[in-house]
Amino acid sequence: MAGFRPFAFDEKKRFMLALIAPAVLVLVFFQILPILTGANASFRDWHLNDPNKTWIGLTNYAYVVRDREFLSVVLPNTFGFMAASVASSLAAGLMIALLLNRQFPGRWLVQTIILLPLMVARVIAAIMIRWMFNDQFGIVNVILEAFGIAPVAWLTQKWTAFFAILLTDVWLWTPWFALLLLAGLQSLPPEPFEAAKIDAASAWRTFRYITLPMLRPVIVVCVVIRAIDAFRTFDIVWTISGGGPARATEVFSIYAYVEAFQFLNFGRGSAAAVLGAIIIVVFAMALYRLLNRWVEVSK
Amino acid sequence: MSTIEATPVPRSRFFFEALAPGGRRAFFLLGTIATCLLFAFPVFWLVLTSLRPGYAVYYVHRGSDFTLDNFQEVLGQEIVLKALWNSFAISTLATVLSLGVTVTSGYMLSRFRGTIPTVWFGAIYVFRCVPYVSWVLPLYFVTRAMGIFDTYWGLLLPHVAVHICFFSWIMKGFFDGIDPSMEYAAMIDGCSRWGAFLRVALPAAVPGLTALAILCWLYTWNEFLFALILTAQNTPILTVVMAQFVHELGMEWHLMSATAVLALGPALIVTIFGQKYVIRGLKI
Amino acid sequence: MAEVVLTNVRKTYGAVVAVEDLSLAIADHEFVVFVGPSGCGKSTTLRMIAGLEDTTRGTISIGNRVVNGLQPKDRDIAMVFQNYALYQHMSVYDNLAFGLRNRRVAAAQIDAAVRNAARILSIEPLLERRPRQLSGGQQQRVALGRCIVRNPKVFLFDEPLSNLDAQLRAQMRLEIKELRQRVPTTSVFVTHDQVEAMTLGDRIVVMKDGLMQQVGSPLELYRRPVNRFVASFIGSPAMNFIDVNVTAAPTGFRLRADGVDLELPQRRFAGLGAHAGRAVTIGVRPQHLRLGGAGEVEHVGLSGKVMVTEQLGDEQVLAVRIGAGDIRVAGVDPELSLATGTRIDVAVPMDNLHLFDTASGAAIR
Repeated sequence: MAGFRPFAFDEKKRFMLALIAPAVLVLVFFQILPILTGANASFRDWHLNDPNKTWIGLTNYAYVVRDREFLSVVLPNTFGFMAASVASSLAAGLMIALLLNRQFPGRWLVQTIILLPLMVARVIAAIMIRWMFNDQFGIVNVILEAFGIAPVAWLTQKWTAFFAILLTDVWLWTPWFALLLLAGLQSLPPEPFEAAKIDAASAWRTFRYITLPMLRPVIVVCVVIRAIDAFRTFDIVWTISGGGPARATEVFSIYAYVEAFQFLNFGRGSAAAVLGAIIIVVFAMALYRLLNRWVEVSK
Repeated sequence: MSTIEATPVPRSRFFFEALAPGGRRAFFLLGTIATCLLFAFPVFWLVLTSLRPGYAVYYVHRGSDFTLDNFQEVLGQEIVLKALWNSFAISTLATVLSLGVTVTSGYMLSRFRGTIPTVWFGAIYVFRCVPYVSWVLPLYFVTRAMGIFDTYWGLLLPHVAVHICFFSWIMKGFFDGIDPSMEYAAMIDGCSRWGAFLRVALPAAVPGLTALAILCWLYTWNEFLFALILTAQNTPILTVVMAQFVHELGMEWHLMSATAVLALGPALIVTIFGQKYVIRGLKI
Repeated sequence: MAEVVLTNVRKTYGAVVAVEDLSLAIADHEFVVFVGPSGCGKSTTLRMIAGLEDTTRGTISIGNRVVNGLQPKDRDIAMVFQNYALYQHMSVYDNLAFGLRNRRVAAAQIDAAVRNAARILSIEPLLERRPRQLSGGQQQRVALGRCIVRNPKVFLFDEPLSNLDAQLRAQMRLEIKELRQRVPTTSVFVTHDQVEAMTLGDRIVVMKDGLMQQVGSPLELYRRPVNRFVASFIGSPAMNFIDVNVTAAPTGFRLRADGVDLELPQRRFAGLGAHAGRAVTIGVRPQHLRLGGAGEVEHVGLSGKVMVTEQLGDEQVLAVRIGAGDIRVAGVDPELSLATGTRIDVAVPMDNLHLFDTASGAAIR
């Protein structure tokens, strides 16, 4: 047997490596290499229109960290947007999941309509909202005028533009929350609810003391995943406001893009990207731990 | 013995509870209708706008002339036609490539134990967590350096890279759910490892693969950021073209919405027909 | 008063009849057990009493009050579920207090009631723990505590011991019986285990396919089963059945089958008269069969061949082939050594002979 071993060992190993070879190659060249390139670029004075790539150490990072735009506008925007979007889609998704958890005629139709946003491209959703909130001919202003309210210049002021962006994100993500929360609801055992019926718990008390605690694990996972994603939002902000007016609605990923491809300072853009990556990883871990402790305490 | 008297249950002060069953049902009905309207309205409005002629775009909600001219005009633009074709080709090719590359990877992770699988699994786990904002921008340079910037390969390979970590993990799950004894039996019956994989394991995984293929196609069709950064004039992509139109076309919302509806069409068709395959495939 | 009265209760799910025209009067403080195989309708009946299911027809009243339209919370009942149904995210104290808090009972009263219940069930040291930290038996006691705390008119038990292992089940049976002495509330208990039914119930209701087969005290069901199903369901090891043909003879009735030839006196088994010339099934419990001939008066005998012996230590159980089938004989001397194939005779007192109409299963008296 000992004689056989080296051969069998090799053949199996060769098979294993052959199985993952293409994936490894693609991963190395199109994920690892870019990551290293980006890290490298962040330490260099690298402009897109200038072949020089001199090493400047942490200068780019220092700039970004001290950039008032970054600190007082971009980061608060990004975190604020993240918090608002996740909270709103969680609440809306929860209500819809509770609704879909019952049987009623036409449920299939309601379910299909509510899942509509999942098949719409984010860019298209942004376009739809941008059209609806158009300050001259958008339907929202038309309706407001019909009620005698003055039309609002939605996309040219910071907070109203943010509202439109938030609405788009919530429209897009609520079905995702609803689906996952519905799956969670349907996996709950029915007996505690029957016991609660006998225990005279009202619908609200049942929801607060029984449904919600049992759903906490699902909610935590959904919130963390969605928060990470919300931090990286680019497409809808770009399409609806372009980060404007005058960079007022700029979020973190737009900041990095603008630095790299509009100011052509690739080094600084990369540094911003790396910083953002670090921030989100740290934040996600902290959020996850915090929420888990909340779940544990209730266990 | 307990001294609690049987007390009648007090009427709740909460508004919701106070409604009689009939009232509660009306409340739900209204809520459901309102929600459905909110979700369906933007899409409905977009489709409506695309059917109104240019001059009528200023009062879409009034008037009753409908036309398909917008679509004709939009399809007449070369960039839109090219973008439609490119998006379709890229979505399909990216799906095929992603699945092809990751199915073997997932199979390996499922069937084998030892250093190599452990290392690969670890790598996948780590790189899945790296936010891709940190490698998207540099991809611009990598593809330029390789000479594939603004070409099919320049977009396909990064898309495959995005899927590697996530899909390998899901594929592993699929294969974990398929009994390996069938493959052992095949190998005893004379198949090589490859043969066992191709003829026994792979066919058993088809439902899951179909589900993933549909989701991957939809994702790539709707994807924006990579398309924006990795393409320029040579390879127009639908989502980028639409975003450009928004900034360039100004008031021509009838054309804008026609383009958007064109982009929405295939996604809707794939979703409607693929829905049951996705549900079936992911129940594995 | 807390009687539970079911009148012509019927439950259908579409075309499927789960419970068929059930009428029963449960007296105040009585402990009634519903027993039967899966799908016989016992759980459905319990859930209708609880209000978790609606009746398709018929009325249910608790304590002289018709409860048909009432929500579970308004029926003044408490229920113990098979898998405890404890609120996982609340402490044991909160689990017990939940029902009272929902009813806006004063906190001081709640505290007194909870601690009292905890004392009765010996779970006081567990009050601050979560259900996940408790053993199966402890969780079941908390579930019982939830019942006691509210002092309702009726306790309902839905197979509460089925999730416990055999040893724990026996222990919990004793605890339930002890609890009953301290808290003698009217109770309806559902189980598929006939041992639980026999040991716990004041009266037992045997159900099959939605129909009530027999209602009576444990001894009644054991001694005078009203049909073959009840006879086979109650008592362990199960009753032996032998199909025979009946013919009238000058002094009585002759029962014959392959390997069986018995004579039964007329005056004692007068009911057989109507069955002369027809197929009848004899039922004999394994415990009532003795080795030896039918020498004594008032005994009948059977003879057959030993097929299998099972040594249990304090007794042996034999499988004896008579004709085409096997019967089991229990209580055989464990020291006896019987080889397979040995011919033996067994005898049974006529008092312990049960007769059933083969076609309908009804007992012949």
